[in-house]
Amino acid sequence: MRVTLAMKPAAKSSIPIEAEAIVPKNFLSGTDLSVWRGNRELKLDEVFVVSVEGDAERPEEVEVVLSGDNIFRLKRVGEYMDGGKITILGDIGMHCGNFMSGGSIEIHGNADGWLGREMAGGTIVCKGDAADYCASGYRGGRKGMTGGTVEVFGRAGDFLAESIAGGTVTVHGDAGDMAGAEMHGGTLIVHGDCGRPGANMKGGSCYVYGTAHGMLPSFRKIGPIRHEGRTLIHFAGDVANRGKGNLFVKDYEYLD
Amino acid sequence: MSEILIKNACVIDPLRGINAETMDIAIRDGRVVEEVSGAAEVIDAHGALTLPGGIDSHTHICGTKVNFGRYMSPEDMRAGRTPRRGPMHATSGYSVPTTYGNSYRYSAMGYTTLLEGAMAPLEARHTHEEFTYTPLQDTMANALFDGNWGIMEAIRDGDTKRVAAIIGWTLSAVKGFAVKLTNPGGTEAWQWGKNVSCIRDPVPYFEVTPAEIIRTVVEANELLHLPHSVHLHCNNLGTPGNYTCTLGSLGLIPDLNPKRQTLYATHVQFHAYGGSGWKDFCSKSEPIANFVNMRPQIVIDMGQVMFGRTTTMTADGPMEFNLHRLHHDKWSNHDVELETGSGIIPVVYRRKNLVNSVMWAIGLELALLTKSPWQCLLTTDNPNGAPFVRYPEIIALLMSKKYRDAEFATVHPDTSARAPLPAIERELDWYEIAVMTRAGQAKALGIQDLGKGYLGPGAEADVAVYPIHIDEVDPSTDYRKVIEAFGRTEYTIKRGRVVSRRGECLVDGSNATFWVKPKISDNYDMGKDPDFIEKFDRYYTVRMRNYPVQEEYVNRSRCIETEAEI
Repeated sequence: MRVTLAMKPAAKSSIPIEAEAIVPKNFLSGTDLSVWRGNRELKLDEVFVVSVEGDAERPEEVEVVLSGDNIFRLKRVGEYMDGGKITILGDIGMHCGNFMSGGSIEIHGNADGWLGREMAGGTIVCKGDAADYCASGYRGGRKGMTGGTVEVFGRAGDFLAESIAGGTVTVHGDAGDMAGAEMHGGTLIVHGDCGRPGANMKGGSCYVYGTAHGMLPSFRKIGPIRHEGRTLIHFAGDVANRGKGNLFVKDYEYLD
Repeated sequence: MSEILIKNACVIDPLRGINAETMDIAIRDGRVVEEVSGAAEVIDAHGALTLPGGIDSHTHICGTKVNFGRYMSPEDMRAGRTPRRGPMHATSGYSVPTTYGNSYRYSAMGYTTLLEGAMAPLEARHTHEEFTYTPLQDTMANALFDGNWGIMEAIRDGDTKRVAAIIGWTLSAVKGFAVKLTNPGGTEAWQWGKNVSCIRDPVPYFEVTPAEIIRTVVEANELLHLPHSVHLHCNNLGTPGNYTCTLGSLGLIPDLNPKRQTLYATHVQFHAYGGSGWKDFCSKSEPIANFVNMRPQIVIDMGQVMFGRTTTMTADGPMEFNLHRLHHDKWSNHDVELETGSGIIPVVYRRKNLVNSVMWAIGLELALLTKSPWQCLLTTDNPNGAPFVRYPEIIALLMSKKYRDAEFATVHPDTSARAPLPAIERELDWYEIAVMTRAGQAKALGIQDLGKGYLGPGAEADVAVYPIHIDEVDPSTDYRKVIEAFGRTEYTIKRGRVVSRRGECLVDGSNATFWVKPKISDNYDMGKDPDFIEKFDRYYTVRMRNYPVQEEYVNRSRCIETEAEI
């Protein structure tokens, strides 16, 4: 089953839309769903031109395609998603793929903050940039992403994979400051540069194939290693947190 | 004039010695009366268990410390969210919910009176502001005196009357209800980065010992004729082997008041530990309970620990710092000028953790080994041992050996070698539970004269009707039904109005705040004492005239005047 949701231009508003209902399994029982804009509950067809092709019995057989100029106003798309596919033809708003445990989300544009926050499984591919707190935890929480994969082809913002405890995050461009802060487990790969990687990390592995700016002094240098055809410098830490994480960087410069 | 008649209620009212009699309760204008007119609204209880409204003599629900727990734990606010519904406000939070969250959840469980366990006098205004938004329960607060400079200096000078005068002045200034000592002397020592290990260590600079503080404050409390006794959180909380310190502290207490206990020792579970370290940590509930059994002047509360996550908060700053070093999680400490301090950390009590399992057992053992239920009250020291929403489970654990055994099978396997719980056969009955959750609490707080804790004529009409028929349910086997029944009342009636029905709150409520005002002679009026005023001017960040909480802050103020002997 393929569900196409084309956002109506008339739905334009400066207030974001809370769209946690847009999850493949919800479409198994029809398109009678609602989203919220502020304190107003809106039917799905008030906001989108909805069209459905084919049918499905399991969430895995459902693909939801989102399009339109304003879909970056949609928040929480794919929250608690456990199967199926969401394709986003454009930019998407905050909290896309929160708590996701299965299925895949493909974003053809950029993603706003908290992409894949606390996700436990499944796959997110973002062809553009991801903003801050991609694959991270939330305020006060002890664990970020615990499983699944996130791949960002553009750049990522600050606090990439903060508190990550499992799964894999790959960023092909640069990442911002504090990548992998409070990391407990899992793998973080940044192909470009980033700032202060692995701050306060306890476990897991963080690879920076570019330059680590503002490298923290609380990491113990072990020495060069070979990794997938590259020579990287291996650090262990964060000693300040009695952590046993592994940080691999191509280049680094310490904080001034 | 509003009238309600509750018909066919199966009443347990321990303060009047009524045990499961089917009777009618007539209510007029918020009070229980002999009879009402035919125009009264009739509620048919159909023989359901009917008790006086629940009273919690030690909980942390309002005030700066609780609020800081909320700031610190945004993740806690993600749990327990309920939307706005009718007169109910939206709520959120699990271990430190919003004020409305506390009020609604307590009301659903039939609780109508709450005592905030620790209020820093300097920050009392905040506590009273939050009380205003705890609409379905009457409230009162213990004021902290554990590190009060004026009091420690008076104790050093051997002047018990001055201690009483300072307590009396402060309680009426901050609209407090009773005296709380939390790790007496220890919190003050913590301002120097130290602690006191037990009752004989001198407090730095003041050179008084916790033993002197406890004994003098207990005497001063009786000089003021306060309704409640001193409310003591003993020194050395939470450390292995601390039961000797607890016994030493309890041994200091003379029997001074024929009406009620002379000391209320709180969350004694945290003070009943044996062993010399965490490796040989074990339960010492037996010596503590035996000691309490011999001393009618002492009432304790359980401080039951239940497994799961919660937030601990106490005025015992050094203890929280030690816990923080154990858990490596968030931590906050706070110093309240010349008075006290506090610490807050989130914790998770785990079944697979031996220490936590033993702690869980100790609370239950204290309740089961203390012979008189009037001497051991049911609390979790909410939220320190567990959030209060776990009370129904605790009631069921006390009533059912089978449930205890089933739970015991899931805890750390070494627990049976460290705690006597599996050998205890006692199962409490409905009457004893009613004592531990209402009548005993009212008596210990000294509020039965204000119409609390019973259902006789003249009593405040605080009633909880639980959806359970005690002649049909055997609590020792049907413990699930007990949990369900105590978790949600059929009706909760507060001062003659139905405030909650099957967990839904029906009205916005209008609670009262109880506070004490001892009448003290002019010679001992601290407001006119030059030394006391000078201390204020020199050391406090507020002026003395700004310190008292104005009555506007006190919601439906209920002042209890006492005749002090000074």
